[in-house]
Amino acid sequence: MEKHPSYEVLSSYLPIYPKAAGALFQTYNDLKYAQQWSDLELVELPGCARCGLKGRRPQTDEVLSIVPCSLSESLSTDWIRTTFRELGAPPHVYLAINTEDSSIVYYKISPGIVKPPL
Amino acid sequence: MASDSDVDRKIQLRVSNYKAYVWDVDDIATLRAKHHICGVLTGTLPHLSQQNVFLGVPLVLLPEEVVLLIEHQLAVLIDDPNAHKPPTVDALKRWNMEREASAQQQIAAAEVERASEKAAKHSTSEEAVRKRKEREAKRAAAAREKALAEGLTLEDLPAESLAPVTDRPSTPSKIVAPSFNVTIPASSSELEWYAPNAHAYSDLVSARSAGVWSYPSSSYERAKCRVFQDLWDKGNFMGGGIKFGGDFLVYPGDPLRYHSHFVATVIESPRAPLMPMEVVAHGRLGTATKKSHLFCEWDEEKQEVTYFSVEWAGFG
Repeated sequence: MEKHPSYEVLSSYLPIYPKAAGALFQTYNDLKYAQQWSDLELVELPGCARCGLKGRRPQTDEVLSIVPCSLSESLSTDWIRTTFRELGAPPHVYLAINTEDSSIVYYKISPGIVKPPL
Repeated sequence: MASDSDVDRKIQLRVSNYKAYVWDVDDIATLRAKHHICGVLTGTLPHLSQQNVFLGVPLVLLPEEVVLLIEHQLAVLIDDPNAHKPPTVDALKRWNMEREASAQQQIAAAEVERASEKAAKHSTSEEAVRKRKEREAKRAAAAREKALAEGLTLEDLPAESLAPVTDRPSTPSKIVAPSFNVTIPASSSELEWYAPNAHAYSDLVSARSAGVWSYPSSSYERAKCRVFQDLWDKGNFMGGGIKFGGDFLVYPGDPLRYHSHFVATVIESPRAPLMPMEVVAHGRLGTATKKSHLFCEWDEEKQEVTYFSVEWAGFG
């Protein structure tokens, strides 16, 4: 496990929220190596018992916020509200939904009534 | 119970089996134009036998629409089955006489029309008969000339060619049974034995205790009413959400002019469980149909609605 390239970055965070460790590990690797995001940093979200992530998509300047979760978890709108608060009220939060076969889907959540893109 | 002036001023929602129907076309127009409540037309049209594409009255309303209209004092609930009294013998007599009179009137009008049509045809045929007579006379004269030239005497000529041509007997027209239309009015308002005023309810509590209306009965139904009201207060038109997997479709203006931008799902409370799979299902369907999915949370303690818009991220 220690030989995995992501171990060094995540080793201090994974034990703090063990139940969310799997989702965090999967999401971090996906963003860093598959999606090729840059400037990834971890943010503790104690109200949601997990760590969130911030980073930039390739060739963009905007910093985006990600919250990993597992498909088998049970969330709530209160939980979503807490993620926004603890991430510093970003304009959107991306929910990274992890599955046991290591698929990840990302969904963008925005507060309020936001018209769909054309 | 509602007062008489209430029933006359407000829109009458005729309730049957816990569903509210609007039978008056003017009310349907008012609901849409003034109160941006659309409802769904659910009746069939006599001239369209397919009965599945274009529908007519009555309009059926969502239970949330009914609750909103009653709470805003814009409508009354009529207990429709009880508002239809059994007609008295005299009332039935009058109704039958009216129908008979209407039938007689239509038959008489049809007769007048047929007579005038016949008169128009007859004058042209008179001219035709005259012309025919002239032709026959000329032919008879020519035949006589020819016969004389061939040496026959006048007495030998057949009598038929000298006899004047008689009028052709007119072809007998078929005897047609007189027909007339029977009009069945859509609304019961004109019936003598319909008494809505005695069975009207202008608030939900009295309607509920009378067993006429029971919505909302659960916290989820209450949350749906509150979210509907909040979206309505913002000026939106709402429709049923079944075609897009939500509770409501939300239009920024009249659905005849706009596509809906949003599909709304009502979340009963801030702590109600929300599964990530729901986020995936709603979010992906919304994005695939060029809409945004709204999670509309009702907070019973704070009495407010909070919205979250969900769409597929576009990466991953």
